[in-house]
Amino acid sequence: MIAAAVLALYAVAAAIAAPRLLSRGAWAERAPRLAISLWLAACVSAVASAVFAALAAAIPASVVGHGLAAFFEACAALLSHGEVLASPAAYAALSGAAAIAARIAYCGAAVLVRARRERRRHAGMLTILGRHDGELGAVVLEHDEAAAYCLPGRKGRAVITTAALRALAPEQVAAVLAHERAHLRGRHHLVLAAAEAFCLAFPRLPLFTRAGAEVARLVELLADDVAARHHPRVHIAAALVRLATGRAPVFTLGAGGETALTRVRRMLHPAAPLRRGERLAGLAAVALLLAGPVAVAAVPGVSSLLAHHCHTLSIF
Amino acid sequence: MRGLGDLESAIMDRLWSYRRPASVRDVLEDLRRDREIAYTTVMTVMDKLHTKGLLRRRQVGRAYVYETVASKEAYTAELMRAALSSGGNQAATLVHFLERLTPEESQALEAALRVYPPGGHA
Repeated sequence: MIAAAVLALYAVAAAIAAPRLLSRGAWAERAPRLAISLWLAACVSAVASAVFAALAAAIPASVVGHGLAAFFEACAALLSHGEVLASPAAYAALSGAAAIAARIAYCGAAVLVRARRERRRHAGMLTILGRHDGELGAVVLEHDEAAAYCLPGRKGRAVITTAALRALAPEQVAAVLAHERAHLRGRHHLVLAAAEAFCLAFPRLPLFTRAGAEVARLVELLADDVAARHHPRVHIAAALVRLATGRAPVFTLGAGGETALTRVRRMLHPAAPLRRGERLAGLAAVALLLAGPVAVAAVPGVSSLLAHHCHTLSIF
Repeated sequence: MRGLGDLESAIMDRLWSYRRPASVRDVLEDLRRDREIAYTTVMTVMDKLHTKGLLRRRQVGRAYVYETVASKEAYTAELMRAALSSGGNQAATLVHFLERLTPEESQALEAALRVYPPGGHA
């Protein structure tokens, strides 16, 4: 019961307070990959602890203590004729856990299916409207709006408009396309899909809304960094400025130029990457976020198991 | 022969360039100038483009004449709008560089860029 309470409290605290903790300081901009891992780990951690809290509330530790086989037997018995723990509260807790797990699984599948369908439709039109430029390794689209984007998927494609080609110097075009290819190779669309699934499944919770926005921003920074390995940073910065100052699109896209500004500044004045210690601390935090809920949920079961089988040894 | 998508693209390009309705036979003769292709193939693809809503057709005598529903520019604009406005669905297409800077912001950044000689500071 204590484990259940701890996990439930943690889930609530994580969903509300974690965003403030994670967005403190500017370290994320120095290590976008680590920051993305942390945000997603926090999301997984919050959802997992909510599920485990419900499970821990429904299943007494003594049941787990009799071994895993007994545990599954107990689950089966509970579902079929409710012998072991036929209390209404246990039923409510179990169905709560199932509902949370089903919700995130459903939303994840929905995001992937919808994105895939949209991409396929887009790819079909792109084949008709664009022309593949072998030298650039990208699809060129005749359009008077300067833009570059990528269409992920099995046959991922980088797309650039003729207006962008006119606005940019060749080395800037190369830098922009390297950025797009970094998205494709890094499978950033899957990272975004994961963040989006959490947003869709549990809307209006600060952790998930904030994670969605942050991950979308951080994948751009990450792709800039990858592109900067082979292209001078100044070209990426220049391309960003050129493309961001183009004619405003007829359809507005919300958001001011905050991310664009961050990106240009980062390219011109790169901050020192995280120190070894800081990086290790970050990785440890990711591990803790992922393993923590499992560990807490397992403690009563494990201690009961020990108490059951090793009578001389008892912890907790 | 190249993929079906390429053929669709070639047929649409031909019809956009004519700016008038054309029959399968017209398009076929045009395409045959630079590739070997069967009448039925062209007919099937044009029928498919009609089903997709890219071409409209009407019967003249025993055959159909086809014309494009909208200009290439209109389709491109629509495609870009769909990609860029991605109603929260960023997993579909990753779009960047769409934020617009204010004139002051871009001036400041242009000034910052001038300090850096191109090619340096990799």
